[in-house]
Amino acid sequence: MKRTASRLAYTVIVLFVSSIAVFYAIRLSGGDATAAALPGSATEEFREEFRDRLGLNEPIYQQYFTYMGRILSGDPGNSLTNNKALTDMLTEHGRNSLILGGTAFGLVFLVGIPLGILASLRRNSWADQGIMSLSTVAMAVPNFWLALLAVWLFASTLGWLPSAGCCGTKQLILPAVVLAFEGIALTVRMTRSAMIESQNSDYVRTLRAGGLSEWRITCKHVLRNALIPIISLAGLRIGQIVGYALIVETIFGWPGLGQVLVNAVLRRDYPVAQFFSLVLVALVVLGNWLADTGYTIANPRLRKST
Amino acid sequence: MNATAVESRSGEVPSGLDRSPLLEIEDLRISIASDGSSFEVVKGVALTVCENEIVCLVGESGCGKSMTALSVMGLLPRGIAKVTGGRIAFEGRSLLSLQKRELRRLRADSISMIFQDPITSLDPVFPIGSVLEEVIRSHRDVSRAEAREIAVRALMEAELPDAADRLDSYPHQLSGGMRQRVMIALAIALDPKLLIADEPTTALDVTVQAQILENLRARQREREMGMLLITHDLAVVASVADRVAVMYAGEIVEEAPVDELFSDPQHPYTQGLIRSLPDISVSKGSLHSIPGRVPPPQVPPPGCLFAPRCEHALDLCWEASPELSRDGAKSLRCYNAQPFEIG
Repeated sequence: MKRTASRLAYTVIVLFVSSIAVFYAIRLSGGDATAAALPGSATEEFREEFRDRLGLNEPIYQQYFTYMGRILSGDPGNSLTNNKALTDMLTEHGRNSLILGGTAFGLVFLVGIPLGILASLRRNSWADQGIMSLSTVAMAVPNFWLALLAVWLFASTLGWLPSAGCCGTKQLILPAVVLAFEGIALTVRMTRSAMIESQNSDYVRTLRAGGLSEWRITCKHVLRNALIPIISLAGLRIGQIVGYALIVETIFGWPGLGQVLVNAVLRRDYPVAQFFSLVLVALVVLGNWLADTGYTIANPRLRKST
Repeated sequence: MNATAVESRSGEVPSGLDRSPLLEIEDLRISIASDGSSFEVVKGVALTVCENEIVCLVGESGCGKSMTALSVMGLLPRGIAKVTGGRIAFEGRSLLSLQKRELRRLRADSISMIFQDPITSLDPVFPIGSVLEEVIRSHRDVSRAEAREIAVRALMEAELPDAADRLDSYPHQLSGGMRQRVMIALAIALDPKLLIADEPTTALDVTVQAQILENLRARQREREMGMLLITHDLAVVASVADRVAVMYAGEIVEEAPVDELFSDPQHPYTQGLIRSLPDISVSKGSLHSIPGRVPPPQVPPPGCLFAPRCEHALDLCWEASPELSRDGAKSLRCYNAQPFEIG
């Protein structure tokens, strides 16, 4: 548990540093906040006053502390474009993103691990070769292209699923599969190689010499050992899903955090862009922490020795 | 160690051939396939292990001794090595024609095996007790508590300190020597009749080596197990073997009771091995070594496999392979055996 605690401290530090980075990056990205909030006809005087009111004329570090103070007190402010409270936006869009991201994350492992196991057990069979070639293709295809392809095939041509929208099961299928695609492919390969490595290990030879059935060895010992590297990469998968969510949510019109963030950046809506960037960073960092905790649980060599 | 060091053990245990054979290997051939080509690494090995005797299979790395041992257990690495000919019988039953299921029942229960590297040979994610229990319960219809009892007894016999408290330990919490004791416990828990130990002490500290060897021999004697001990260490051979088979490039070149092998080795390879042993009474001078190298298994020489390195090789030796000829308890594969002279 010591490792878990120290990892948690590390997580907090990463969050702090990334909050600074996000804050500065958005300030440095150029553009004018008044362009988003005020009509084009507003006078320069009025604009100046508006910047003053938002504190945009103060030194950046001061703005940072003011801003962090507001976030920690639970009131990160409002959107410049529609004056909605950011906390309300977080609840609403966060829920949507959680549904999409959670489904994709589930698909990555629920599809990836069984396919990887199948490929490892039927090594060099047509099933193995099919799965492996498909996963190579899946890793190479950029997901914005895959999204367009999916829309063209399943929505426009076949008409089986809607091309965009929210938030029913039917609308969820395409974006979730596209979002999970590369993760599935990576998990398949990881699972296959981890299973094969475990199957060729000395300890499996010992278990065979102990007269255990092949089925039992595979299901219990090989799989359990193979899970360790798979879990260790779960954190990377979370980061990948969060990153890809920006693209996939935008293409499929899924009103999640990613879509909100992309729109906010395009409109120079600082408070929204800043806040939601931080939220996504926090998600990735916390996800990694969770994955690391899982890794510690799965691997007895990392537990505290008795 | 030299020839005189084994005298103390002579006569302690009678030579094994008068007892009933437990394991009989005849004309065993094993091939390895790699990159589309395949070549023989075990070339017609014959070997017998009887009840209550320790047979040592000696040879340098790559001579096929481990492959021979693994083939008895049916544990040759799949897709790489396979038995291409010969016969392996355990108590008269052919092991090569057994169904997977039947072979599985024999493993650990009748024939056990201990491996070279105790560090990698235990499943790292399960406590040692749970693995012992699992193996015991896959062969015996006992409760978990009874299985634990058997496990503790086996660990105690393997002389693992605090055996009862170690059941919940993970392998990484144990030292190399302790892990090898766990491997021994795993191997003897079900009272097998035959124990195969493949270089069981090679990966261990010298001090631990002696203890482990002593322990293995004690368990073997009290259970009257047959034991096939594979090693490249002649000191180990001298201290535990009843009978010794010397293997070179996939063939058995000489077999004899241990005393006779050390006092009167016949085959030039055996003689070279014994001459290569460091002699602590001589403090200076370079160590003896056998000139040349082992022929690559892909392109074996036409005649005797040892001929290229043999100082007594005749023309005949380069043209024809000698057969293993038996003379009482001894066998020899050589056309031109010379009396042994030390030094």
